[in-house]
Amino acid sequence: MTRLNASQRRGLIGALLLSLLILLIVGLYALWGESWQARVLYAAFVNLIVVIGLQTFMGNANFAVFSHAAFMGIAAYAAAICVTPVAMKAVSLPDAPWGLNAFEMSPLASALVALGITGTLGLLTGLFMSRLTGVGVTIVSIAILVIVHSIFLHRTDIFKGNQALFGIPRIFGLTHVTVLAIVAIFAARLFRESAVGLRLRAAADDEIGARAMGVDVHRARLVAWVVSTLFFAAAGIAYAFFLGTISARPFYFNFVFLTVAMLILGGLRSVSGAVFGTLLITIGLELVRWLETGPTLAGVKLPQMLGLSGLLLGVVIVAVMAFRPHGLMGNREIEDLVLPRKGTS
Amino acid sequence: MDYAVQQFLNALSFGAEYALIALGLAIVFSIMGLVNFAHGEVIAFGGYSLAVVGTILTGNPLILMGFVLLACVAVAVLLEKVAFRTVRDADITTGLLTAFGVSIILQNVFLLLGSPRPVAATQLIFLDRTLWLGPVQVSSLQIYETVATILAIAGLGLFLTRSNLGIAMRAAARDFEMVRLCGLRANRVVSGAFAISGLLAGLACIFIMARRGSAAPHMGFDPVLTAFVACVVGGFGSLPGAVLGGFLLGFLEVGMLVLLPQSYGGLARAAVFAMVALVLIWRPDGILSPASEKGDKI
Repeated sequence: MTRLNASQRRGLIGALLLSLLILLIVGLYALWGESWQARVLYAAFVNLIVVIGLQTFMGNANFAVFSHAAFMGIAAYAAAICVTPVAMKAVSLPDAPWGLNAFEMSPLASALVALGITGTLGLLTGLFMSRLTGVGVTIVSIAILVIVHSIFLHRTDIFKGNQALFGIPRIFGLTHVTVLAIVAIFAARLFRESAVGLRLRAAADDEIGARAMGVDVHRARLVAWVVSTLFFAAAGIAYAFFLGTISARPFYFNFVFLTVAMLILGGLRSVSGAVFGTLLITIGLELVRWLETGPTLAGVKLPQMLGLSGLLLGVVIVAVMAFRPHGLMGNREIEDLVLPRKGTS
Repeated sequence: MDYAVQQFLNALSFGAEYALIALGLAIVFSIMGLVNFAHGEVIAFGGYSLAVVGTILTGNPLILMGFVLLACVAVAVLLEKVAFRTVRDADITTGLLTAFGVSIILQNVFLLLGSPRPVAATQLIFLDRTLWLGPVQVSSLQIYETVATILAIAGLGLFLTRSNLGIAMRAAARDFEMVRLCGLRANRVVSGAFAISGLLAGLACIFIMARRGSAAPHMGFDPVLTAFVACVVGGFGSLPGAVLGGFLLGFLEVGMLVLLPQSYGGLARAAVFAMVALVLIWRPDGILSPASEKGDKI
């Protein structure tokens, strides 16, 4: 095994600290939590995996991309279609073509198939995403989102469109997703400190300079793009394996708004920022959802206010961009708060 | 033959609408590098103001049209002052995400103050009548739309080449610092760009409202999305590119609707976007991309 360099060792410490934070939250829930909070926590961890995946591309390459919900949806559907028993698929997908309702696989094999399909699509889209510049990346990522969503809606025989695809075995629990989230934190942190991660960050700061130093920018972007789609795939699989029913609606713009706001609040450029942003927005949204239903507060019945949670997300994005463009964490990772960096900063 | 002429007119009017919106996006981007995701909400604001003023004050369509234009210009200039001034010198991603946030805020404000369901505003649908040009059946709205767009493009061209502010804007698209050194106020140039983009959005809004007859929080989102794609294909920040991209997408979309079987109608937009992605593999910066600022091609 190759020896890790100094920043990679610091990365491991940082990932360890973040994992402890995650374990602390799960521990608090195990001691005092109520059962409905398990769902909130599960959703938060699925979002966390997505946001960390976003960070690996958006943060390191400094491009805004919005296609992650599409890749998550592809993986969720692929895993769901593979793992659902044939008897159940006869009911839930009676018209599926190509014998999609005539086979079933073990959960592990289904997850691998889903990862494989999503990764392949990531590679194919990455071939042109990595060559685009600036705004083009963002717009084409939105185009990918729209294309995938309209295919989900159109092929109702495979994806059931806006109706639910039901009967997926509920294999995952909070333990699984906690482990997955911790693995994601370590993977993203090691990727950030790896040679490819460093090249990407260099190219994001100064593309001409990085090229002059011999960095193959397109290749580095392609690697990061594919890696990030694998994170989205993992999140999609965890989503399908927990809920037992999926539909096309959650894999669209609202989810994109949510996860992008989480990443921006914490700060694009660090994995710790992704984690903190996800946790803060999750807590904030739980409060706002309660306000949205029109609760009685100190004897006053508040009106029902739909759209308040969306408003909050927008305000968070604009406020962070105006006052702290690099998010709460900026370029710092969690270990920089605890252990001051030696030598050059 | 009649069918072909009819579809050609369809494509022309689709393209005109996209070109109008794409021009509004491109003029702001060329000057301050802002990808204005909130453009669709400017259009939706125009739609809501039509619904409100149309029911409370007057039903006179000419006054209402003027009012929609005014409302869109006002809200575009206001957004620049309130939200986009703070990120003017920031990098593209910061500006883009700010505009994205502004767009989410406005959509949800419409949702909170209006309703998730569309609000009826039928004052302008009289523009949409069926006409017969010889054997060809056309909608009057398509003709108005195409003519208005051509006039708007010509007017914009005159403004950009003849007026001082227009020339300053074109110069600012090349080198904003130099324009400021020449003694022109940055705020005036940027506000001017937003006012023009608002005016173009208002024009698009009139036609969209004439077709829909109702305002909804997300009404601007889809056309603006297509206009964005048009901008990218044409070369982001290039005004001729925006017009070219807009008409190209209009023709592609109508072509897809004609060629794809009826049951695949829902996939027309997906097919158009996929073709655009192919164009971008060929030219990653768009067809008429402005001179690169990377410094390696001068």
